[in-house]
Amino acid sequence: MGEVFLELNGIKKSFGGVKALKGVNLTVRKGEVHCLAGENGCGKSTLIKVISGVHNADEGEIYIDGQQYNNLKPIDAIKLGIQVIYQDFAVFPNLTVAENIAMNGALQKGKKLINWKETREIAINSMNQIGAHMDPDILVERLSVANKQMVAICRAILKDAKLIILDEPTTALTAKEVDKLFAIINKLKEKGIAIVIVTHKLEEIYKIADRLTILRNGANVATGDIKNFDRRTFIKYMTGRDLIDTNYRPCNDENEILRVENLTRNHAFNDVSFTLQKGDVLGITGLLGSGRSEIGDALFGIMPANSGKIFLHGKEIAIQNIDDAIGYKFAYVPEDRLTQGLFLECSIGDNIVVSSIKRYFKNFSLKYNDMVKSADSWIKNLNIVAPSSVPLVKTLSGGNQQKVVIAKWLNTDPDIIILNGPTVGVDIGAKADIHKILHQLAEKGVGIIVISDDLSELVQNCNKIIVMKEGTMQASLNCEDISETALSKMLSGETEGESKK
Amino acid sequence: MKKISAKENFTSNEMIVVYIIIALSFAIGSINSSFFSVGTIFDTSRAMLIMLIFALCEMVVIISGGIDVSFPAIASFSLYLTISLMNKYHINNVVFAFAFAGIIGLVWGLLNGLLIGKYKIPALIATLGTSSLVNGAILVYSNGKEISNIPSAVDVLSQKYLFSVASSTGGKTSMTVFIILPIVLCILIHWVLRHTMLGRKIYAIGGDTNAARIAGINVKRTQYFIYAATGFLIGIAGVSNSILMRNANPSNLMGSEMIVIAAVVIGGTRITGGHGSVIGTILGVLLLTIVSNNLIMIGIPSSLQTFTVGLIMVIGTSITSLKAKKIALSPKI
Amino acid sequence: MEKIISKIKAADKNELTLFSIAVAITIIMATISPSFLQGTNIRSMAFQFPEYGIMCYGMMICMISGGIDLSLVGIANLSGIVAAEIMLKMGSSNDSIFIAFIAAMITGAICGLFNGYLVGQLRIPAMLVTLSGGQLYTGLCVAITKGPALTGLSPAFQKIGNGLLFDFVPISLVIFIAVALIMDFILRYTIYGKQLGFMGTNHTASRYAGINNLNVTLKTYMLSGILAAVSGIVMISHYGSAKSDYGTSYTLLTLLIVVLGGVNTLGGKGKILGVSLSIIVLQLISSAFNILRFNSFVKTLVWGLLLIVIMVLRAILQSHNLKFWRRKSENKVS
Repeated sequence: MGEVFLELNGIKKSFGGVKALKGVNLTVRKGEVHCLAGENGCGKSTLIKVISGVHNADEGEIYIDGQQYNNLKPIDAIKLGIQVIYQDFAVFPNLTVAENIAMNGALQKGKKLINWKETREIAINSMNQIGAHMDPDILVERLSVANKQMVAICRAILKDAKLIILDEPTTALTAKEVDKLFAIINKLKEKGIAIVIVTHKLEEIYKIADRLTILRNGANVATGDIKNFDRRTFIKYMTGRDLIDTNYRPCNDENEILRVENLTRNHAFNDVSFTLQKGDVLGITGLLGSGRSEIGDALFGIMPANSGKIFLHGKEIAIQNIDDAIGYKFAYVPEDRLTQGLFLECSIGDNIVVSSIKRYFKNFSLKYNDMVKSADSWIKNLNIVAPSSVPLVKTLSGGNQQKVVIAKWLNTDPDIIILNGPTVGVDIGAKADIHKILHQLAEKGVGIIVISDDLSELVQNCNKIIVMKEGTMQASLNCEDISETALSKMLSGETEGESKK
Repeated sequence: MKKISAKENFTSNEMIVVYIIIALSFAIGSINSSFFSVGTIFDTSRAMLIMLIFALCEMVVIISGGIDVSFPAIASFSLYLTISLMNKYHINNVVFAFAFAGIIGLVWGLLNGLLIGKYKIPALIATLGTSSLVNGAILVYSNGKEISNIPSAVDVLSQKYLFSVASSTGGKTSMTVFIILPIVLCILIHWVLRHTMLGRKIYAIGGDTNAARIAGINVKRTQYFIYAATGFLIGIAGVSNSILMRNANPSNLMGSEMIVIAAVVIGGTRITGGHGSVIGTILGVLLLTIVSNNLIMIGIPSSLQTFTVGLIMVIGTSITSLKAKKIALSPKI
Repeated sequence: MEKIISKIKAADKNELTLFSIAVAITIIMATISPSFLQGTNIRSMAFQFPEYGIMCYGMMICMISGGIDLSLVGIANLSGIVAAEIMLKMGSSNDSIFIAFIAAMITGAICGLFNGYLVGQLRIPAMLVTLSGGQLYTGLCVAITKGPALTGLSPAFQKIGNGLLFDFVPISLVIFIAVALIMDFILRYTIYGKQLGFMGTNHTASRYAGINNLNVTLKTYMLSGILAAVSGIVMISHYGSAKSDYGTSYTLLTLLIVVLGGVNTLGGKGKILGVSLSIIVLQLISSAFNILRFNSFVKTLVWGLLLIVIMVLRAILQSHNLKFWRRKSENKVS
């Protein structure tokens, strides 16, 4: 590990009275992989924007390669060798791999003509440096997400990068692709490039990080070598609370709500079987690509299963599309609430009644008074912080927005609710509220399935967990028998769980 | 160049159009054998001359992610004003004719660029607006009347030919000198799109405008250039048309937006932007020209011609859109 | 009085602006030419706008759904020609009028369904579909008429576009008002209307919320086609003949009216009241031009100019609004 490349001291940044960063320190050395961790809202993104010059700190010092810099502009940061790879990569789908990689360099040099031979050579050179092997003449739109990211990385190192920041790089990658990415990151390390990975995924940090800085609420909570952190301490620093033993243990009830047998969808998941009884909160987890999300998609009819059986209250049913699912009183709180779950430009009230609109059509017209009444009652019941159902839903915070999505489905009086990543980007208070709501629903007899990669959420709120690995059920566990640490180890492949049905 | 598998090469969009053109030619030729003659090539080339220039301009605009339905209006305005002023002030100069028409087109093009680049008005609506504005302006100026005397300096051009060939009917058929325009343009635009940074920037903007900005491309400036440059070329195309037709009519080019856009789309340019080639556009224009000029030969009465062309447009654009969708949904590498 | 004031305060800024513009134009024109406010002029205005006004509602719902319908004029002409053919072939009896009307509606519905299928199921951009579709429908018109207008429509039929109800109100105006009221009801008080707004706002969230996007799209374009057909009937009745190229200027005009009327070009938002006021404003401008002896060429110019000016103003206003929201959102911790 070499000398210090980046040093941030006492960085403070506020936006109109809200303190995003309250005096943050960060030191990154050349050739080290430094993870910047924290829950959503801890200030990670703001810090990155300060480093890359998009924002300027209100107070504090920035030292890059020993020199102090004030009022950094994005173009300055790039010239100093700081490259950020954001979650959407900003690549051109209609241009070839080679062109994407070489484009920025060509633009910087102010070239007027294209030399295709040279472009290819530059691209192949760059790919060789990190061990990526892609066809340079393929249009990027044909590439998988992982390879698109590879293109973005190749592009970044061409600009003589000294510090590469990756923002949540493994969000859309499968386990194999994550391994590949980490191998490349190690190669970059060998060249003395400093790497900062912004993430919140415990298992991956352990795999790749040399050092770790944890932020919470805009301030440093911990910094140090990764060997000085065990899982339990890590979680404590991230969330600010000890592992509380408020685990969810419902009373035993034999009423079967949902039974799934040998459910299979080609290239997604294989032979999945489980039973949901009254009071159960079932968790499904696994790395991305393991099939965990796809099971939810199949049950809600978005990407229906190819074979297998589904029994609702003992009767066999078929779910071929979303209409079927809703017809059987299924509900689905999707992963991406901004694009899939909400109508940002519509009012809270509209967002709450959208899926149950048919109910309000009486005597040949829609009754708005009833709609407002329903919306208001959900605002109250779910503790949504809003003056009324009139404001646009885009004005709400993440937690309140998620509650609106849940309210939308609760208004349809569902029998089964599937939630994918229900508390991502939600503050701690709203998180607790949502978990409480789920428990109450489960006790009333609504089947709850929670798909998540937040292990502490699963362990504390589910009584049963299914672990998926590469499409098959690796384990089916009772939460009484599993701890969060053990679950984490299972996911990162350190121990094999026993299959219990 | 793009490395595509052999199979893809044979089923690519351009090849499909080639097959259709070949099939169509055989169909027409079997009914009317005089179709297979040099004369036909000359006639077809002359018929598609102006449309090809429009189509090339439209292609560049669509590749950049925009669309332009105002080009017939801009062409009409440029040609009419140029001829009218030349007559009025006795300016009998070839260079003036083309330069002036080009500049008028450029100015209107800049207006489009301003609306679309700076004010971010959706291209369709912006150009619908300018189309009406410009068309209305020249109709007011001309009072709807056409001019039948073309200044002599340019009128002679309509009688200048590159070469002539004996036609099957015993006379002579000739290739007008104006054919140079689209040929030069094809080569030039192909070169710019393929071998200059400017061309790649155009594709980049059409592929992902935000990524283009982040990469440091001056999107606004490039858009201004695209609309201004195509405006210039459209002005020249307009005045060329009036020379070939030997009259300046303020409204007979109106209504040709649809067929030009259809030709561009059928030739493989995706309406959503980011994709397109000169060859494809040439093929698309060729196909639609052959169809519209030879419908009678296949036995389709003139009253069904608009319908047939419309049908081809619907089918052609549907097929290309579906193909693009298929690519988007295909398994990723 | 208080109720009126509070209603005015709650009313949409856009609609208030339109209302004031309408009043302003009326006052200006009345001072320039007192005949502007005379019964004959008002009545003549009332005879002119229904035929394109009804079409505007079609353009409006397509735009709310996130698309556009540039084939309205083609459908209108085609429906009109179909109706005319039927009436002429059946000897222009009164029964034939009824049958012709039904046939026109069916034609409009079929054309609309065709559009809707291509847009909704094959996912071809609406601009492309309706642009080529319009060409197709116009082509059918030419194929049927072989070019010249179909004349000789019965006086009874011509009363629709030229006659008065109770000697006072133009029949076409009554039809227009009825259509406007029905459309308003559909958009605000039916499940379809609400779902249309949702789908236009966010196609993805709409699907995830259980809305059948394909159904909504099909219904939208079909309804638009039917409205175009109604326009067509009014139009041919007004002119006394049917032709393949009537109303070519109406495409731009309806787009202008709908944009001016506050419909969001990207989809999701639009109110009947706004579009209706916009129709009236444009008719006032049109009549003003007639009185000032501006010919139709000037109108074409002004419509284009107006569309551009409105869009530019909207863009400027929006960027000011955006700066406000950006500042507000930076207050939320990232």
